[in-house]
Amino acid sequence: MEHARHVFRAALVLAVATAVVFLGRSLLVPRSYGDYGPYRADNVAEQARVRAPRHGGPASCAGCHAKQAEVRAAGSHKTVSCEVCHAPLAVHVDGTAVKGKMPVDRSFTLCARCHRRIAGRPEKFKQVVLEQHVQGPLESGACLECHDPHSPKL
Amino acid sequence: MDHARKIDGADGGAGGAADGPRAPDGCAGGVGRRDFLAGVLKLAGGAFVIVAGGAGLASTGEAAAKPGEGYDWNEHRYAYLVDTEKCIGCGSCVRACRAENDVPDDFYRTWVERYVVGLDGSKVDSPRGGIDGFPPEQTAFTPTKAFFVPKICNHCTETPCIQVCPVGASYRTRDGVVLVDGERCIGCGYCVQACPYGSRFLSPRTHTAEKCTWCYHRITKGLKPACVEVCPTGTRQFGDLRRADDPVRLAIERERVQILQPHLLTEPNCYYLHLDKEVR
Amino acid sequence: MPEITGFAFPNDVHVHWSLMIVMYPYITGFVAGSFIVTSLYHLFGREEFKPVARLAMATSFCFMLVASLPLQLHLGHPERGWYVMVTPHFTSAMAGFGLLYGGYLVVVALEVWFVWRRQIIESARRSRGVKRAFYMALALGTYDTSPEALEIDHRMVRLFAGIGLPGACMLHGYVGFIFGAIKANPWWSTPLMPVIFLASAAVSGIALLTILYQVVSKLRHVAIEARCVASMARWLWFFLIITITLELLEIIMLSYENSEPWHIISQLLTTRLEFSFITMQMIIGGLIPLILLAIVVMMDRYLHERVRNTLSVISAVLLLLQVFSMRWNVVIGGQLLSKSLRGLRSPYTPELFDREGVLVALALFAAPFVLLWIFDRVLPIYPEAEDAPQQAPGHEGEAPTRGAMTV
Repeated sequence: MEHARHVFRAALVLAVATAVVFLGRSLLVPRSYGDYGPYRADNVAEQARVRAPRHGGPASCAGCHAKQAEVRAAGSHKTVSCEVCHAPLAVHVDGTAVKGKMPVDRSFTLCARCHRRIAGRPEKFKQVVLEQHVQGPLESGACLECHDPHSPKL
Repeated sequence: MDHARKIDGADGGAGGAADGPRAPDGCAGGVGRRDFLAGVLKLAGGAFVIVAGGAGLASTGEAAAKPGEGYDWNEHRYAYLVDTEKCIGCGSCVRACRAENDVPDDFYRTWVERYVVGLDGSKVDSPRGGIDGFPPEQTAFTPTKAFFVPKICNHCTETPCIQVCPVGASYRTRDGVVLVDGERCIGCGYCVQACPYGSRFLSPRTHTAEKCTWCYHRITKGLKPACVEVCPTGTRQFGDLRRADDPVRLAIERERVQILQPHLLTEPNCYYLHLDKEVR
Repeated sequence: MPEITGFAFPNDVHVHWSLMIVMYPYITGFVAGSFIVTSLYHLFGREEFKPVARLAMATSFCFMLVASLPLQLHLGHPERGWYVMVTPHFTSAMAGFGLLYGGYLVVVALEVWFVWRRQIIESARRSRGVKRAFYMALALGTYDTSPEALEIDHRMVRLFAGIGLPGACMLHGYVGFIFGAIKANPWWSTPLMPVIFLASAAVSGIALLTILYQVVSKLRHVAIEARCVASMARWLWFFLIITITLELLEIIMLSYENSEPWHIISQLLTTRLEFSFITMQMIIGGLIPLILLAIVVMMDRYLHERVRNTLSVISAVLLLLQVFSMRWNVVIGGQLLSKSLRGLRSPYTPELFDREGVLVALALFAAPFVLLWIFDRVLPIYPEAEDAPQQAPGHEGEAPTRGAMTV
């Protein structure tokens, strides 16, 4: 097999290259990869910590704003979270310290988003044709002239 | 082919014609079969040692993977329930998700669709995902029914998206949530193509795949996903199938529930009540 | 923002797989197709392909070197592209890329080495200094050019052609599988997809070699061998018939079964893809070459050489366009329709200067020809060409093969 020397040499080069690739590969696999499946297991904890929750739910508002919370809980908006009309808790509060003003949207578009009559809403859900319902121009504060947003039923 | 070269070949290949380069002569005759085999075996042995060592090191990560202190993912199996009869199309869920998860504009981790259906036709729309609610709708046909359908990632048990991820960036946790490892994702977009529900997208900010995570950072603390938290009508519900008294579990067990695109056998964990045939 | 007709899922309106993903199967198609041509000589012993065999192998190799670039350019994180090699998730066809690409590259490189080994050794003997060191390294330090060694080379070439042919088929077939296995997209989801991709890869490769062979022969002032051209035309016609049959079959099945997706797919084909599918892929790229090649094949003995050559080249050029249209229609077309099956988005136009844009795509297509020219300088493709006079390198890359005289 003297004449096949070049074949063995090529095969050796190939074997070396393959070994290097496979060795290199095993050194580059992330540490937690494969613990629970074909993924990097450390990521699960990372995702659980990705950020602090920004919405607190109505209970988190009641601590400081007990009066509005009571009014709301007794009225027809009791299922509407404060954060729907205002903003997520994290905009206003950081831990227990106030960090910014909570937006108060007085426009009619806010109320219209739920209460304008359109196709698709369940029939027994309270909705109105705004142009007929509101006397006077449709402008900011139009709904608030008659309705308390925390307990809107007249 | 000249004879001079042939003779040279017989004496070990060292050198060719008189004016050519001489082959560098290590051992007499270069690398033969025996040497080659010896070389390969040595390499293989070395490789085995290193790989075995590496594998040993990798298996020490047991406890670190669970999401955090006081939370054991083996105790939970989450599911989601949507009652389309209650949805009023306010879009609060879409806004809450965007605020909670920094979802980029023009991309949606959740959205609401409106169906306006008549005997002669149907029309579906989702203006910006429903984030600003829905405008009044005009249709060419006479509608006989209309309803809203919220959509999110279904966190399927038989995911087509995890199946096609080439690097193992997409995976399913023990508590039933499908997640994307943003550090591992190479942004190839295959999972986006593979999702039958259109739940995924490539974020223009991170250039990786993103989608609804059922607010994993909230549910592992016992909170509800943001969309469920703010839904004013109780359309969206989130539950734990491992809790015996869980309302979502009871609904799935006892009521007639549907799933999206059942023919694809993706086994979604997002169930719908009162889903119409028009919905895909 | 794109315009939508009908209703599309909000996330569906973005086309994530761009022109680069059209280029990738286009380029790997040339790799596979060229390899089929070279295998017709080296593996199946068809002598009429001898003039084109080395050119085809070099072409396959040069396109292979470029093949991973479109993917890299497309990734959201190109710097993480190597993760596919480190943690491949083998339920994904894309994960096979690392092994298939690496494996096939090794096979072709080895085959090139064995075919060109004699020229490497001769070049090593003829040169001095750095060049000599380079060729010595390339020869792996062995200088055996005896008939026995060359016979072993010949057998190794056949071996690697035998391994490489299924390898090339898998390299391109898996691309078809990537699309065909996506049940979420009804335009892609069909078992025919890998076969269609492979057949049209053969078409693109043979068409490319048809053009390249004639161009290179003209540049070398060497006669174009009629038997070679006629054979290539025959095989090209054969693969074209298969390709068009399969492509039409897919449409006909969908239309006959008339299931849920057909409504939106027929709209896709007649509105968004009217030009690229009906005009380019089927008529200009399909029907016309089919007729021209039929003339070349069936009327072979009546044709003057010039006519045969010209008709072959025209068909080949049209077929290069056809194969590109087919890739475009599959990749882009599949993303124009929404998974809601109720809507189509406006057609996608790639940017000119984008990382995934038109200029880059053109550069990617031109690059293998540049590499081919470099290849020829290092490893002459036609080493017997002593009488090729000096001439300026013609167009895109085809250099006169001054071969053994230049170094």
